[in-house]
Amino acid sequence: MSTPTDFTSVMHLLQFTDSTFPVGTFSFSNGLETAAYENIVTDAATLREFVEAVALQAAFTDGIAALHAHRAYLAGDYEAATEADRALFRFKMNAEARLMLQRMGKKLAELASHLFESELISRWLEDIRTEAVPGTFPVGQGLAYAAAGVSERDLFCAHQYGVINMVLSAALRIVRVSHYDTQKILFDLAAQAEKHYEQAAKMELKDMNAFVPQLDIIASLHEKGNMRMFMN
Amino acid sequence: MEKFGDRLMTAAVPEVDFSKAFEMQPFLREPDQMYVGAPGKHGYLKLRFALDKDGKSILREIDRRVPLIAQQELYFDEEMPEMPCLYILSSGGPNVDGDRYQQDVIVEKDAYGWISTGAATKLAEMKFNYSGMVQNITLHEGAYLEFLPEPVFPCRNTRFICDTRLTVDPTATVVYSEIYQPGRKYYKDGEMFDYDILSVHSHGHRPDGTPLFNEKFIIEPAKQNPRVLGIMGRYEIFANVIVMAPKEIFEKVYAETTPGIDKKNDIATGITTLPNDAGLLFKVLGNKTAPVKKAVRDFASKVRMAVKGKPLPEEFPWR
Repeated sequence: MSTPTDFTSVMHLLQFTDSTFPVGTFSFSNGLETAAYENIVTDAATLREFVEAVALQAAFTDGIAALHAHRAYLAGDYEAATEADRALFRFKMNAEARLMLQRMGKKLAELASHLFESELISRWLEDIRTEAVPGTFPVGQGLAYAAAGVSERDLFCAHQYGVINMVLSAALRIVRVSHYDTQKILFDLAAQAEKHYEQAAKMELKDMNAFVPQLDIIASLHEKGNMRMFMN
Repeated sequence: MEKFGDRLMTAAVPEVDFSKAFEMQPFLREPDQMYVGAPGKHGYLKLRFALDKDGKSILREIDRRVPLIAQQELYFDEEMPEMPCLYILSSGGPNVDGDRYQQDVIVEKDAYGWISTGAATKLAEMKFNYSGMVQNITLHEGAYLEFLPEPVFPCRNTRFICDTRLTVDPTATVVYSEIYQPGRKYYKDGEMFDYDILSVHSHGHRPDGTPLFNEKFIIEPAKQNPRVLGIMGRYEIFANVIVMAPKEIFEKVYAETTPGIDKKNDIATGITTLPNDAGLLFKVLGNKTAPVKKAVRDFASKVRMAVKGKPLPEEFPWR
């Protein structure tokens, strides 16, 4: 890619976070499908709590890995990027979540390789194809956003925005809420995302952590159940 | 005992130190009471199960420092009378401010064992420092271990950090459970999620050091209320069970386990596979101790059935 300018990196940031960016976000609900079926999420208030919890656990797992991948790209350190990738995979305690991150990660690597030249991302895609690395989506985000000249703070915004928007888009199809409700939740969660960034930016890969047992249980009901509008 | 300056220190045991953990940084002040590492505040246990010359599984080696106590293995399991069973006790009562513990459990080739605690583990109120525990659980080829301790009760301002390393041969099976209570529900006006921090890290490895999974959770109720949707919801008690086992074993247990929301017993259970084909992770949320413990035992029983062809016995009525 030609050297990004302030202008082009904002364009790239908007492009990569847009819901039409084809990495498959629309096929995942992050457990919402089951939560709605079990009457755990029934309205805008419960949806907000659910999304807050999803964003929280993503911040201190996916978010940390994305930040480390971003730094690895800028340092030209491929090994550090793969370590972030493997560490995130080991920290993901949910089979369908791992599947989601890997499918989206591979799509992002393929798409990025189509959009611009990056030796590091091409190498990563090659390693994904030979299963030498897990190829997780947040690590792909870290690499692609760094290549596009997006700062790590803006990368973290995009990561949180993506996770929140994925659940909210699914909510429009399966929970009795309006666009006004989902937009209000998305707007309000911006402040929470900023707080998460302040903490996550200081954390090492080994500090990744998540405590969302109810989400884990909901995810497992989907994993063993037969609801299949979404892949998780 | 060894002497460092004017301090007596517990001799010949590894140091247990979490001062580098980011989440413990606010809790590093030396206690006004007995110092960190003092005899009686640095418990150590080494337990090694092995087969004797007749092929009987026995507790071959035991090394201990107060306040941790383990005595002799007993064979009281009615479904599996050959199973050496051991209770870990603490002569010190609760874990107090500045306590350090290490428990090393080794199960040699083809040996097996069952470990629990004699009573719930109470984590006392803390003011200055924290209580920390390191566990190293090592299983050799064909070994089998059930590590099913009683629940942990954190009190007001408790700070507890635990690091459990499971090093398991691809042919061995371990069932490792933890049950966390919200606090002393019936003490004074009731303590619920009044602790400062619980930080729990469990990680699995192969004997050559290959890392397989890391599960780390940090609960700081003052920073993030755990009683919200997605975290613990309307539940109070949380149990986590890690199973590391050969693929054919864990796939069988996975197929036989039905997760769900059980309204009658007021519990919710979930199961998933661990990364890198390491095994299974089973979670329980509940509001009463008995059904949570029963869910953990029923699950452990499935694992024993898959490995040894025998179930867990009925729990003793006084437990």
